Amino acid sequence: MKFCLIWFVMVMKMFKNAIIVFIKEMKDILRDKKTFLFGLIIPFLLIPTMLFAIDYSMNFFQGGKDNQVYVAINNKENSFYRFCTAHQNIKFVDTDNPQAALNSGRISAYINIQDNIDDDIINKKNIDIDVEFGTSSLGSMLSASAIGYYKELYLALIQYITDNDYAKNVEELRVLAEDKELNQNLTEIYPYQGSQDIGFNTSSLYFNMLVPMMLILYCCIGSSSTASDLSAGEKERGSLEALLSTGASRTSIIVGKLFATTVMGLISGLCTVLGLSTYLMISSDSQMSQVSVADVLALLATTLFTSMFFAAVNLAIGVYSKSSKEAQTYLMPVSIISLIPTYFTYSMDLNSINLKYLCIPIVNVICIIKEILAGVLNFSHLGIVIAWLIVYIAIAFSLTAHMFKKESVIFRI
Amino acid sequence: MIEVSGISKNFKNFKALDDISFTVKDGEIVGLLGENGAGKSTLLRTLSTMLKPDSGTAKIGNYDLISDSKEVRKNIGILFGSETGLYERLNARENLEYFANLNGISHEDATQRINELSETFDFGSYINKRVGTYSRGMKQKIAIARAIVHDPSVVLLDEPDAGLDFRASKIIFDFIEFLKKQNKSIIFSSHSIENIKNYSDRIIVIHKGRLIESFNVSEYREKYTDKEINEILFNLVCDGDENV
Repeated sequence: MKFCLIWFVMVMKMFKNAIIVFIKEMKDILRDKKTFLFGLIIPFLLIPTMLFAIDYSMNFFQGGKDNQVYVAINNKENSFYRFCTAHQNIKFVDTDNPQAALNSGRISAYINIQDNIDDDIINKKNIDIDVEFGTSSLGSMLSASAIGYYKELYLALIQYITDNDYAKNVEELRVLAEDKELNQNLTEIYPYQGSQDIGFNTSSLYFNMLVPMMLILYCCIGSSSTASDLSAGEKERGSLEALLSTGASRTSIIVGKLFATTVMGLISGLCTVLGLSTYLMISSDSQMSQVSVADVLALLATTLFTSMFFAAVNLAIGVYSKSSKEAQTYLMPVSIISLIPTYFTYSMDLNSINLKYLCIPIVNVICIIKEILAGVLNFSHLGIVIAWLIVYIAIAFSLTAHMFKKESVIFRI
Repeated sequence: MIEVSGISKNFKNFKALDDISFTVKDGEIVGLLGENGAGKSTLLRTLSTMLKPDSGTAKIGNYDLISDSKEVRKNIGILFGSETGLYERLNARENLEYFANLNGISHEDATQRINELSETFDFGSYINKRVGTYSRGMKQKIAIARAIVHDPSVVLLDEPDAGLDFRASKIIFDFIEFLKKQNKSIIFSSHSIENIKNYSDRIIVIHKGRLIESFNVSEYREKYTDKEINEILFNLVCDGDENV
């Protein structure tokens, strides 16, 4: 009982000093204007700006209803060419070297039509339209999706004509293929839905890759400059000796600094989440608007623990470094390394998330973010990830506290 | 009162302190003299509990350096180097309150103590301005006040005069004399024979981690001229090997 009481008093004293350190550090950090700019405003603006820019570029380059798609064709004497002329946004470009035109981006697709295709249609034989897409730019790839759509639309038209025997000969077929009213009805029945028509949602692709990446990045770099200033910066200023010679224990000092570092990482992470939420609220894209309040709360919880983990790691590096410059040299690769799991998990689909992935640091956070963004958050997964994050935070913090007590690290003797 | 008994400290294969023993009485100023790497800073860092001795111990006031390290820290004030080590985005009052609170002083007591120090060192006119806007001399005063904001019985100063101009040096040595009047035990290290000789009651010479000489300045002043004392000290510091 007596031992418990003594232990309790010691812990309370430690926390009292940790809070003194924390309040001082927060006051010191928040008086720095650069902190506001790089820690708060930029993370808040970055994701919405980036996603709106992606949306804009998608709409601008995408070969949709209102945009022009430039293509070349090997043979103009056929019903497919006539069909395309009925759709004003398909523009044919004459070229002697279609491959060079594709590579240079002058055309988005080269359409290779088999000889006597119309005869084959009349004779109800199988037909083949070979389309070679350009890959020189995102715009070419998106225009390719529009070409894919028109190809499918043409095949639907041909099916309709042949099933009903509306064309008795090639000439009648060509006239029907370019019939504006028929094509208008067809496009109303099968409306163009963007790149999803060919099973390729570029916008979603960027969204699912960039958001976890940015969130991880800002949880990491949000605390890195603070960690470096609060540890290596103290050595550089010559204030560390004065701090270590006070009555406060080293554990309480480092706990206070960890709190402050975590808060800065968390603020950066929260600003990123806030920016993302703002985008989701403004964005009209239904696929992206399916994130609920519970999902946002789960995202906040994940951000909190991820920030704590990175704060502890960054602080350990800062404690080891002799100067802020040295700390930054070590911290920069850490933020880059922390992004590697985002590439690793990119191709992973939600069904393949298993216990193994939920235990690996950073990878587990990305799995949860992916679930949240897909609107299929699994709360048992969230619990497992948070439990593992607490374990990793404890390990990283124990290491930091141990290093802070070692004179060979503090004074780099 | 400081009682140092047989303190040794090794850094890997390098003997930084070798069986150092001496005493500093209340109200006494001891000057530490030695070349670069002699062990002055290591000794002061050890006495302030930042480094743990490999053997030996010391008593600061009534507290043992090793077993009562927390109480030792509450009883010492330090000023390391000429860099003031203040937090520039905080004002002087916040800087001083921070260190007072970490030494266990309540907010009310800290406020009273800071007001006293502000009168003593005459920094009341700028106490609420951010430290980043201060001149070197103003910063020196705040750093000094920080060292004694918790009213320690022992003050350790490691090369407080390094790189300072005449005005800033004067602030430091006026402070050392002020501490003496307050009956505090003071150890300060310096590369300046002149400053050590003029402001110390006793001089301790350290060479390669060993204490090679300890003498009262007043006794030497009776026996030797000022120039001769300078010569003796210079020879001790530079040719320490012959005296070990």
